[in-house]
Amino acid sequence: MPEDHDKDAYPEPPSRTPVVDRQSALPDPTLILSKLFYYSVDLPVTTFRDIVEGIQSGRKSSYYHQKFRRVPELTQCREGDYVCYYEAEMQWRRDYKVDQEIVKVIQERLRACQQREGPSYRQNCYKELQQFEQVSKAFQSRYGDLGAYASSRKCLMKQKERMMAEQQKA
Amino acid sequence: MVGMSILRTAAAFTARINPLKRTCQSSNLLSRTVARSEQVVVRHGSHGKRMFIIKPTDFYDRRFLHLLKYYILLTGIPVAALVTFVNIFIGESELAEIPEGYEPEHWEYYKHPITRWIARNFYDSPVKDYEKMMAVIQVEAEKAEMRQLQLDVRRHMREKGDGPWFQIQTLDKNLIDHSPKSSPDN
Repeated sequence: MPEDHDKDAYPEPPSRTPVVDRQSALPDPTLILSKLFYYSVDLPVTTFRDIVEGIQSGRKSSYYHQKFRRVPELTQCREGDYVCYYEAEMQWRRDYKVDQEIVKVIQERLRACQQREGPSYRQNCYKELQQFEQVSKAFQSRYGDLGAYASSRKCLMKQKERMMAEQQKA
Repeated sequence: MVGMSILRTAAAFTARINPLKRTCQSSNLLSRTVARSEQVVVRHGSHGKRMFIIKPTDFYDRRFLHLLKYYILLTGIPVAALVTFVNIFIGESELAEIPEGYEPEHWEYYKHPITRWIARNFYDSPVKDYEKMMAVIQVEAEKAEMRQLQLDVRRHMREKGDGPWFQIQTLDKNLIDHSPKSSPDN
């Protein structure tokens, strides 16, 4: 089974010990429904999963996370060295994908926080909000309007424009 | 009073026609008699009247749907069975850290066993594709450089004339006949 989620990023609210204080003689509908759900859905699914894991018990193979070496970037390539350009471009594309996934993770954390806190999320999830704002501003400034045919050269030119704008402001 | 009797007759009539509780046959619907209980009970969807329903042919539609289902399930069922058995008996791989000094094969970077099988037997490794692309780029770069060099050399040799190209061969000066030049005003 894959490992569980990061407990610090997605904290669970403190659990309350259920103190049953029934004051009516009627049967408890939540208990009935939960038992119904357990016997009709939870138990068959769990037993099926256990059977399948029993069949597959010895023969697990593993898959790995591919690690790429860092190669010189576009700014460190000599002019006309097209092989260097290609490697830098591939590295930039991998970094672009990684940054997209980072933004998605931060978005997911903010969404989870809002779901947890309910109406008072602006006050309680301040840290996640700040993190999201910072990350999305950075992503927008670096990769913002590059479009579908983004390349490392276009990103470099965008960086140059940014630096020129900063210099003009100063 | 008259309304009551009308209602009573209407109630009796609907009780007789009621398809859930009917015990009478077709012949005595509109009369007030009750069927004898030894008679056979037959229920028709057409309220007892035998119908010859005239509708356009549905032969072609049903044949089409039958053939559609047949051809879809012909390969659909084996593929579904294959995928089910692979998922139950072989199962997906688990994520693990790369052990020290071990270089995983290119198919060991995928999770599902069928993807791994396809990557192992049919696809080239992405490293190989990368290296092939870099080789193509290098060859093309060298070709472009050589072509550029050739154009530069052509220009230089045409301008300066100090190279082997663009030399126009002239005749040997020993072949010149100087004899008419000794008597110019002939």
